[in-house]
Amino acid sequence: MSKKIKKDYSRPLDVIVVEDNQVDARILESMLLDPPTIAKTLKIANTLSSAIKILEENEIEIAILDLNLPDSKGIDTIVEISKKFPKLTIVINTGAYEDELGLEALSLGAQDFLLKGKYNAYVLNKILRYCLERKRLEIELKQAYETLKDTQSQLIESEKMKVVGGLASGVAHEVKNPLATILYGVTYLIEQVKMDDDKYNLVLNNIKEATNRANGIITDLLDFASLNKMNRTKSNIVDVIEKSLSLVHYQISKNVIDIVKDYEVDLPLLMIDVNRIEQVFVNIFLNAIFSMEKNGKIGIRIHSSFIFDNKQALPSAAKDKFNPEQKLIIVEIDDVGKGIPENEISRIFDPFYTSRRGSGGVGLGLSVSKNIIENHGGSIVVENKADCGVIAKLIFIV
Amino acid sequence: MNCKKVLIVDDEKGFTSMLKLNLESIGAFEVKVVNESKYALMTAKQFLPDVILLDIIMPEKEGPDVAIEIRNDPTLKNIPIVFLTATITRDEVQSQNGWIGGNIFVAKPSSLKELLASIESSIAVK
Repeated sequence: MSKKIKKDYSRPLDVIVVEDNQVDARILESMLLDPPTIAKTLKIANTLSSAIKILEENEIEIAILDLNLPDSKGIDTIVEISKKFPKLTIVINTGAYEDELGLEALSLGAQDFLLKGKYNAYVLNKILRYCLERKRLEIELKQAYETLKDTQSQLIESEKMKVVGGLASGVAHEVKNPLATILYGVTYLIEQVKMDDDKYNLVLNNIKEATNRANGIITDLLDFASLNKMNRTKSNIVDVIEKSLSLVHYQISKNVIDIVKDYEVDLPLLMIDVNRIEQVFVNIFLNAIFSMEKNGKIGIRIHSSFIFDNKQALPSAAKDKFNPEQKLIIVEIDDVGKGIPENEISRIFDPFYTSRRGSGGVGLGLSVSKNIIENHGGSIVVENKADCGVIAKLIFIV
Repeated sequence: MNCKKVLIVDDEKGFTSMLKLNLESIGAFEVKVVNESKYALMTAKQFLPDVILLDIIMPEKEGPDVAIEIRNDPTLKNIPIVFLTATITRDEVQSQNGWIGGNIFVAKPSSLKELLASIESSIAVK
């Protein structure tokens, strides 16, 4: 494993020589260890597999690599090593220089190409250190590129959301008018037309229910469009959660769900849009209820934390997101349901993802919830528990 | 019991005819419909309703402009206006108990029961 490289050009290095020719290995060994010492750690491997084992078990920062080994030939050797150890600095050491091979090795992750017998300890020392610095810069550049890519995708995502939002409000207005017409038409028929045949009533009630469902979908879409309209007030998160529980009281009683509460006392107030946050909790409670058979259990734990004094309490995805000075309130809601299939867990926040497509789920609940929490500067993480069920962790900044 | 006079101003002909049918079937309302908002003021002056149900987004003249005309007319200024609109959701309306900026709002579609409650509360406030 490589470790963080400091800009100290005289410090001894942690080196591995991967070389099956004992004479060549011996020459390198003496260059690296004879005073003035270049290496403080020197490991020698004569096959690719033994080199991989050493790299897995030791803190090595640079590898001097012969490409032709008993168990790996030519360019494959460097491909294998650089794939497994992307942060390792690699210098090729070969008996015959070929321009094409040299350039290919560099493009695959090597930092330089040494020709056996054409360098001395002084030159080797310089090359190794220049290679380390180049590798450090390469890693920094890669990280900067990744950050740039992330920022770009976030921008694209936000532009996409704006388009969806604009489309949603336009469509919502156009669709809600005819829905209102259908709803009042059906209401009139249900009230006025007294049919003896139950089938007529069934048809009318089905139309009414479908109209209400369509309206629900449009309303969810409008939530996307209006997420920036927040009405924040200083509020107690416990009150919001209790109100949300009361809104799903019917489903809780019907399914005989046991609610286990563990609330820290004297929690600080949060600046939140109460209606929006209620919407998030109702969503999470309903997901939990629908994922369980009757007689299930939902645990609700609320506690406050500073990121540095209780890092364990934070979901790993959220750890890097917050400033260590900020006090946080963490709400954990878990159930004992069937959990989320592992291959689907990365998609649960995608718009229109649902596991309840056949039973009325539209798939906007969690994506809207995530947007609401993130618009509050917070974070939401949903994970499968080790035993059974799902845990949702919501983090709010005080 | 005296019939309350309701004026509906909305360009959606299907919606207004369904709403009219429902309100009239209750037996407590006399309903008049205006589908072209430019005639709203004139009709209101002739009909002198107890309440006006007013759509917001309409071609030619939008609901708020109609409301301003009504508020500026000495004979109509005290008639309560209930805004009927598809631009806001029921949750948004309910979160503010139906009142937004001093006006009663009803989201489309809402149940007849919700609409009747809004009509009653607007008349009561008057």
